[in-house]
Amino acid sequence: MNKAADTGARFRSIAANDGAVRFDAVTRRFGEITALNEVSLSIRQGEFMTLLGPSGCGKTTLLNLAAGFLGPDSGEIRIAGERMNDVPTYRREIGMMFQNYALFPHMNVAGNVAYGLKARRVPKRDRDRRVEQALALVRLTGFEDRMPRQLSGGQQQRVALARALVINPAVLLLDEPFSALDKNLRTSMQLELREIQRKLNVTTIFVTHDQGEALSLSDRLAVMSEGRIRQLGTPEEIYRRPCDRFVASFVGDANVLRGRLDGIEGTMAVIAVGIARVAVPRAASMDVAASAPVDLFVRPEHLTMTEATESCATSGTVVAHVYQGGYVDTYVECPESSRDRLLVRSGGNQALTRWPIGSRVGISIATGEGVAFA
Amino acid sequence: MNPQPYFRTFTTPAVLCALGLLAAMAAVLQFSLRAYIPGSLEPGGFTLANFTDLLKPLYARVFLDTVQICFLTAVSTLIVGYPLAYALVRTQNAIAKSILLVIVVTPLFLGEVVRTYSWIIVLGNNGFVNSGLLGLGIIRQPIQFMFTRFGVVVALVHVTMPVMVIMLAAGLSHIDRDYQRAAESLGAGPIRVFLTVTLPLSMPGVVAGVTTAFAWTFSAFATPQLIGGGRVNMISNLVYQLGFASFNFPFAASLCVAGLALTIVVLSMLRLAARPLENIGSH
Amino acid sequence: MYQRLLVFVGRVAVLLILGFLVLPAAVVTIAAFNDKAILSFPPQAWSLRWFAKAIAYQDFREGFRNGLIVTAWSSSLALVVGAMFAFVLDRYRFRFRKTIEAILLSPLVIPHFTVGLGFLILAAQVGWNRTYFIVIACHVVLVLPFVLRSVYISLRNLDQGYERAAASLGASPSRVLATVTLPLLLPGLVSGWLFAAMLSFNEFTASLFVTAQRTQTLPVAMYNYVREFADPSMAALSVMYIAGTAGLIVFANAYLGLGKVLNIEQSR
Repeated sequence: MNKAADTGARFRSIAANDGAVRFDAVTRRFGEITALNEVSLSIRQGEFMTLLGPSGCGKTTLLNLAAGFLGPDSGEIRIAGERMNDVPTYRREIGMMFQNYALFPHMNVAGNVAYGLKARRVPKRDRDRRVEQALALVRLTGFEDRMPRQLSGGQQQRVALARALVINPAVLLLDEPFSALDKNLRTSMQLELREIQRKLNVTTIFVTHDQGEALSLSDRLAVMSEGRIRQLGTPEEIYRRPCDRFVASFVGDANVLRGRLDGIEGTMAVIAVGIARVAVPRAASMDVAASAPVDLFVRPEHLTMTEATESCATSGTVVAHVYQGGYVDTYVECPESSRDRLLVRSGGNQALTRWPIGSRVGISIATGEGVAFA
Repeated sequence: MNPQPYFRTFTTPAVLCALGLLAAMAAVLQFSLRAYIPGSLEPGGFTLANFTDLLKPLYARVFLDTVQICFLTAVSTLIVGYPLAYALVRTQNAIAKSILLVIVVTPLFLGEVVRTYSWIIVLGNNGFVNSGLLGLGIIRQPIQFMFTRFGVVVALVHVTMPVMVIMLAAGLSHIDRDYQRAAESLGAGPIRVFLTVTLPLSMPGVVAGVTTAFAWTFSAFATPQLIGGGRVNMISNLVYQLGFASFNFPFAASLCVAGLALTIVVLSMLRLAARPLENIGSH
Repeated sequence: MYQRLLVFVGRVAVLLILGFLVLPAAVVTIAAFNDKAILSFPPQAWSLRWFAKAIAYQDFREGFRNGLIVTAWSSSLALVVGAMFAFVLDRYRFRFRKTIEAILLSPLVIPHFTVGLGFLILAAQVGWNRTYFIVIACHVVLVLPFVLRSVYISLRNLDQGYERAAASLGASPSRVLATVTLPLLLPGLVSGWLFAAMLSFNEFTASLFVTAQRTQTLPVAMYNYVREFADPSMAALSVMYIAGTAGLIVFANAYLGLGKVLNIEQSR
């Protein structure tokens, strides 16, 4: 791609500090429903930002606002520093990938990929060259004359990607593009997408409800629900330090244990669960009195099963094992759990024999791992 | 267990109807090959004279006129009906959509006679158009619309519109909206999107609409009869005149047979010409 | 802005076309209230007398009655025949399937005057040419394609899972048909019937050929009237026609959803 000579470069040079895409207090209603409630988000140049949340959280609405298919009721949308509120879709420098690819059925692969270039009146020779480069990028050289219906799902997706990228967009918008693919294909496509995205350094907004996908692909991710961003951060931050109950339960599996606030020591809060004392980073909602009841959220891989002695945080009875190949998920019936079954994840498969179903087992919590909410 | 219960019960009536229709068509074919005995309703012996008579310029002319009128009507209806079909499918407002639908569909169920009669009042020398133009001083003498081909075609377009709009709308509504969004996201303005995406993908609907419009117009009788008034004759009018004015049923039958052959030929040609168009729309 | 201009132009075009569609109905409505006996426009004085005359006119009354008889019979028969055959078309494989379907759908391309002439000749040869029977038979054949298509589309949209569930619960084929299939198909059946009835009632060209003086339907009676007289009785009748039909369509749209029936619902 001849980056220097295209319009995308102009955007990129402006965008360095301004944020490539910016939403400022954006609100959007549909009748009585508020799909987006004063959402603000700033996405950096070249960043892979994922919008993650359950259906109805507003992530697709936000994407459609960036694309220009919808307008905000209030607030501002900026791409590369320029206000986009009144700019129609076809004048925004965006590239978009749709859930069902939306490859034009009446044009062949070359026609599809060249469409955006034709709309920008790029002369034929440059067009052909860029189409060739784009197809090479997605490893579909030689497919120019095929029709979309002759391609497999994965191939169609790559054509869709080539089509969106060949125009050197300022921002790439992806609307759950992999949900229609089977698992193996999905994983390889995800990796390919990320490689290409890094190589081209194109700002990307990715919408998904699959938290595994979000965690593995993003530079940063925004967890949304009910029209608001609950938490914005790197995948690690979101996973290890969820800021509220919703994020803690939506992203990754979480066990919830009932405990009491024992005391605050600097940046850590000590939670009493049964006999054990667990120190976890102090969360914002920790301004409660000592001995107040709190819920401790712990990831399954941070719980360990041991002999049921008194020094354990809690204990319970093994109810089921789910063998997952590389690890085992064990369900333990436990009174301290606020959701009546704990999920303990252990590597290998020793858990199957060491803790048979019905056996009493003690649970210990890895120090420092976990979040507590009042 | 019978994998196809009720088969006989369910197919027999339909087969009977099919046979009935075939019998009627056979009757027409049979009569077309029999001689006309003036003054009698009974046909005479076997003859090909009815068909050779068709080649006379007088009748050949009617065939040509009919085809011309049908084509003119079909194309005009397409041009006028497409924007309406587009609006019908793309309108978001549910009430507006309902109103559009009712206005488009109602004429379909009014029948030829009522619609044609209404056009007589619009097109007549004392009718709406002429009174209006005369009243406004734009013209000094009434423009002759009745008994002209123009008047017949205008009324025929009105008669055929509902069918065309419905077929076009059906085709348009099956185009996935994402294609339009994708084109927009790639930088295509509204006109480019329409010309390069919507229009090509609506071709199956266009072909269906034009084909149906042609067949329907070919069948029209009241409109050319009442507005054409004997000066604009389509095959339908000729068949009626021969049958009920001269009682020359054999010749009328041969006209029917020739007309049917003509329809089949034209429709097949339309189909063939449209095959590449239909392929692009398949999705 | 450019886009707004386009939308404006589009709206104006659509309104003009709608105006074209509505023009004859509007004009005939105004003409029907004309006090004078000549077909002129605009009316000088207003009166309701043509409505009274139209309603009282013997030929119109008989035509209406005949029309109802023919329509009731032909649309009901067409519904039964068409629904049964659509069922068989959708579910079963058998020889001549496509042939029979093609023959039954052919009235869509065969001109009505040809069908009418054919039935007339047929009737004359067996002596039935002055009966209701031949008119009903002709109408059945003419409206059958519409019923067939309507019911077939409904069947295609019907999820057979419901029927399989009923069968798995022990329902015999006839019970499944009566308690599951038919109720679910009802909207398609009703709209098919309604469509057929309206088409049959208004059918003119073929009816002109196969009806006799005493069996003539309303459209034929109207045609004969127009050829002889030029007063606005016909206009009054047309207005009643339009009002009645429009009312039926609005009703059908509200309760049956015309969009679905005509297969023009937006797919996304």
